[in-house]
Amino acid sequence: MKNNLKVERAIKDLTQDDLAKLIGVSRQTINAMEKNKYVPSTVLSLKIAKVFEKPVEDVFFLEETD
Amino acid sequence: METRFLFPHKYKKIGWILLIPSTIFGLFIMFTNFEPDWLKLPMFTFFSQGFPLADTDGTVWFSTIKTNVANEIAGVLFLISAMVVAFTKAKNEDEFITKIRLESLVWATFFHFGILLIGMLFVFDLEFFTFMIFNMFTLLILFIFKFNLALYKSKRL
Repeated sequence: MKNNLKVERAIKDLTQDDLAKLIGVSRQTINAMEKNKYVPSTVLSLKIAKVFEKPVEDVFFLEETD
Repeated sequence: METRFLFPHKYKKIGWILLIPSTIFGLFIMFTNFEPDWLKLPMFTFFSQGFPLADTDGTVWFSTIKTNVANEIAGVLFLISAMVVAFTKAKNEDEFITKIRLESLVWATFFHFGILLIGMLFVFDLEFFTFMIFNMFTLLILFIFKFNLALYKSKRL
């Protein structure tokens, strides 16, 4: 699964730390997701989409291999 | 995040403070055979055949025997502090850290039993007994090492 967290974060002018605090996770988790090293749970994906005020499909995308 | 079977984060520091001296104490009594007479105390036991460590006549069940408790003290201190260090929540325990925790535990379990397999095949007699004493603790040691290394790496990523 891919995501455009980094872009969405830039639009909202949030640092990794800000976003982490908003959704109650560690900064490592945001970092790992942006590096495509971690696929978040449904709950976490929905929380992130809520922060960016977008449907979850606009933030996370399936890849060919998924 | 809701996590099961983990101690609160505040105990982590106490765990480390206890773990370091109990490791040193444990290694010290292991290598010097530190067994002072004043630590030879009556202890309740489920079962003892007497020989070679305790001095009872023959086999006893559910009774009191005299034995040196230096190694018990070291072992108990080490186990408790290592378990606290291993299984207290991280400062911000979330689902990603839980995943790192699980992967580290799998890794540590493989290595722990891998070492045991090698020991079974290549270490014998009394040396195997000594090896087993160390092997009792390798699962926790390996887990603490691997989990903290993975956490550290994820912070620097």
